[in-house]
Amino acid sequence: MPDQVIRRDAGAVKPAMMAYAQTAPVDWPVPSPSRRVRRIRHLRLVLMDAAQLNELLLSVARAGDRRAFEALFAHFAPRIKAYLMRLGAGAAQAEDLAQEAMLLVWRKARLFDPAKASAATWVFTVARNLRIDALRRERRPEFDSNDPAFTPDDEPAADAQLVRADEDAKLRDALRRLSPDQAAVIEKSFFAEKSHSEIAAELGLPLGTVKSRLRLAMAHIRAALGTAS
Amino acid sequence: MSVTHHPAEELLVAYAGGAADEGISLVIATHLALCPACRRMVASAEAAGGALLSGMAPAPLGNTALKNVLSRLDEQAKPFEPAPSARAAIFPEPLRSYLGGDLERVKWISVTKGISVKPVFRYGTTRVQLIRSMPGAGVGVHSHSGEELTLVLEGGFTDVTGHYLRGDLQTADPSLTHRPMADEGGPCISLAVTGARLRFAHPLVGLLAKFYGF
Repeated sequence: MPDQVIRRDAGAVKPAMMAYAQTAPVDWPVPSPSRRVRRIRHLRLVLMDAAQLNELLLSVARAGDRRAFEALFAHFAPRIKAYLMRLGAGAAQAEDLAQEAMLLVWRKARLFDPAKASAATWVFTVARNLRIDALRRERRPEFDSNDPAFTPDDEPAADAQLVRADEDAKLRDALRRLSPDQAAVIEKSFFAEKSHSEIAAELGLPLGTVKSRLRLAMAHIRAALGTAS
Repeated sequence: MSVTHHPAEELLVAYAGGAADEGISLVIATHLALCPACRRMVASAEAAGGALLSGMAPAPLGNTALKNVLSRLDEQAKPFEPAPSARAAIFPEPLRSYLGGDLERVKWISVTKGISVKPVFRYGTTRVQLIRSMPGAGVGVHSHSGEELTLVLEGGFTDVTGHYLRGDLQTADPSLTHRPMADEGGPCISLAVTGARLRFAHPLVGLLAKFYGF
């Protein structure tokens, strides 16, 4: 069964991958990670899809799989570097920090929960936190779901792992379909580290307009994730 | 009881994207510990961050980058700090770690009759502090020169905009002139981040504030 899945991925036909992501069992069997990962690794010049990235990250988490890590590095390190440069880091600094971020991915991989986020989303949070820590020299306060004072979510998690695995493709599509106005506000929110009043001044818009565009954009994003409520 | 007053969505996006500063992030993260609905919003925004990361045009790294990192994989990393254990904490994480303990550890500084504060940290003109108001005590009528976030952690308070209980977050901006009043029945303890000094409408209260520095 897993081999069959890999062969379908090897076809690199996007709709087939999406079909796989939608029909895959929630608890993916990982009987022989290294062999499967080796095959995935050969495909890395093909755009890796979210399900493959999840599997690679799980192989790192469960088995300390270095081959899987190399494939993750090839995919994510250049994107993290680009993300850091987009936020104002110099090329050399971004290069160093992208390596640091990948080291954190290796060390923290066991904290990755595929039921909560896709690999790309999880790696984004690692890179974001490292940037805050290293470039702003601030701490990143985060809640702790094991804390006795934490209020758990009563709603059953509607989104299983297979939905998460597919979310990146859906989101990229949703982001592409945003109006240019909404896309500009989302982009600036993630890549400009500016307050919304600064964004408003830059775009020559009233603050209320920036906020409503951001909310509309987020509504589209939640709809794409199936979490609109 | 579920939370009814939430941060504006753009604040949650600023937190998820990493644009919010540490003071605002501390208040938002502490609210998130108490509010599943806002956690779902932040998760959606982080997913958008993941998609944006995936969509970035790659900036290639030098030839030795992978080798460098591979050679460091066996380095002994600092073990993760275990979260301070607590049975029935009033202050959720991350706030409890910032304070080094729960409510019983707080040394309050009396500011005026019925009101005490505990500074958490400050930088520039921003300050984050706990505020304890005894039943019936109020801060006086005041407006704000900047945005101010107040998160209730115990008890409650009421002002013209509504009634705030544990987990509820109030966002005050220069358009709001209010006179928050702590509920009867017990002290109201809240976490507040202010970007600028409060501007008091009443000159006497303003003088007091200047004197006591809150």
